[in-house]
Amino acid sequence: MPGRLDFDDVGMCFRIHREKVDTLKEAVIGRFRHLRTVDEFWALRGVTFRVQPGESVGIIGANGSGKSTLLKIAAGILKATEGKVAVEGRIAPMIELAAGFDPDLTGRDNVFLNGVLMGHTRREMAAKFDHIVDFAELQEFIDMPVKNYSSGMYARLGFAIAADVEPEILIIDEVLAVGDERFQQKCVERIREIKKSGCTIFYVSHAMESVAELCDRVLVMAHGALAFDGPAEAAIARYRELQGLVPRSLAHGQA
Amino acid sequence: MIAVARPFAEIYRFRELVLMLVQRDLKVRYKRSVLGMFWTLLNPLLQMVVYTLVFSTIMKVGVPRFPVFLLAGLLPWTLISVAAIGSSVSLINNQGLIRKVAVPQAVYPLAVVGSKVVDLVLSLVPLAVIAALLGRPPGLHWLFVPVAMLLVTLFSVGLALLFSSLTVFFRDMRHLIDILFQVWFYLTPVLYPQDFLDKLPYPWVKTFLLLNPAAYVVRCFQVPIYEGRFPDATTVGLATLSTAGMLVLGFTVFLRSEERHIHYF
Repeated sequence: MPGRLDFDDVGMCFRIHREKVDTLKEAVIGRFRHLRTVDEFWALRGVTFRVQPGESVGIIGANGSGKSTLLKIAAGILKATEGKVAVEGRIAPMIELAAGFDPDLTGRDNVFLNGVLMGHTRREMAAKFDHIVDFAELQEFIDMPVKNYSSGMYARLGFAIAADVEPEILIIDEVLAVGDERFQQKCVERIREIKKSGCTIFYVSHAMESVAELCDRVLVMAHGALAFDGPAEAAIARYRELQGLVPRSLAHGQA
Repeated sequence: MIAVARPFAEIYRFRELVLMLVQRDLKVRYKRSVLGMFWTLLNPLLQMVVYTLVFSTIMKVGVPRFPVFLLAGLLPWTLISVAAIGSSVSLINNQGLIRKVAVPQAVYPLAVVGSKVVDLVLSLVPLAVIAALLGRPPGLHWLFVPVAMLLVTLFSVGLALLFSSLTVFFRDMRHLIDILFQVWFYLTPVLYPQDFLDKLPYPWVKTFLLLNPAAYVVRCFQVPIYEGRFPDATTVGLATLSTAGMLVLGFTVFLRSEERHIHYF
């Protein structure tokens, strides 16, 4: 069973142009000026960890601590500036549920579009379709454009698709923030099932109870570095300690 | 060799995604429109009427059956220009997806070209009707049209990849492209036949105009549809060369800068 993930001294640097060179004119006129005003911002630096197949790993940290950047690198959206990243097994290439939804298309079309965005064929999605709609409890609304959905319906459909496409590494980012309590419970059950099937899970959340409930191991991120890597309880304690010590005004702005 | 083939294998893996994006575009485009697809057909026909009036009736270019000649060149030209202009903003318009889903970014410009190819295929129907009415009935030589379609599609893909990537780095490419295609249209033998170039008094102008790669691709439509014969090997060879050149240029620029796009949105 593949599903291994290796980060070796990974760093991600964003170049922030003070005066953004966006047009030809600026590129020509400001050829030398713009070279001076590039700021480097390391959203992630020196991050090393290894995830074994079947592990469920939580990632917690303050806003702007590098969680999203880490997920984007793992999913292949961003290429790390330095260090080595090795992914074995099929990773869901989407870091946000319902990221690929087109508001003008119906729920039905979006199920297929999202499935195909995640690397599945239409035929595979047709086989999963009924199950997805059942899980999302959207039978009556599936032929309605998703722009008319409530945010809860949106999230339900997004989770139902992600949970049913069977990646070997599943990324779940803040899924339980929307949806009512009953549906949240249903999601937790589903994640447990996926976990039991041997799938590697990345779980990002600010809800500590669900992190403690679902993850055997938790990474704590702070200022683009790995602050702690270990069992859930100790990680959450470390996270709270960091939160208490670091005033909000010092936190990085990068999301 | 394997390293070169990898991005193409990735794009091939997401071929269904390209199809779905084409479908999405067509669905959204024709939603709540009464005439729907007819608008696609109406546009070149209207252009045909106007250009025939101006260039055949008023200015007397002296090309018999001018509407057939015009449409045979105008339709592939329209694909080239509309695909390139439309896809120049395709990465910027899909940046929401690019930031969140790791799929080969080439699918977005490819989908734009795909949906414009659908338009071209549809407009071949009225073209065949008009050609038949004006005494150029489609015959065996129309068998070359699929080959010409393939050439113009791949040519457009090359341009679409090139411009979609450049526009990410330089936003005013959008305006530049509009002007470029206006000029390029008049430099391409669509309104006048290619042999008019032979009568040019300045040989260097002719040489310059013959360097236009789009001319050979467009000619692959004009020969079978208007002249009613199969194009000779030279025409096909030059068109293939132009297409291959454009594809290599487009893919090279696109794949080299693909990773950097996300930092420039």
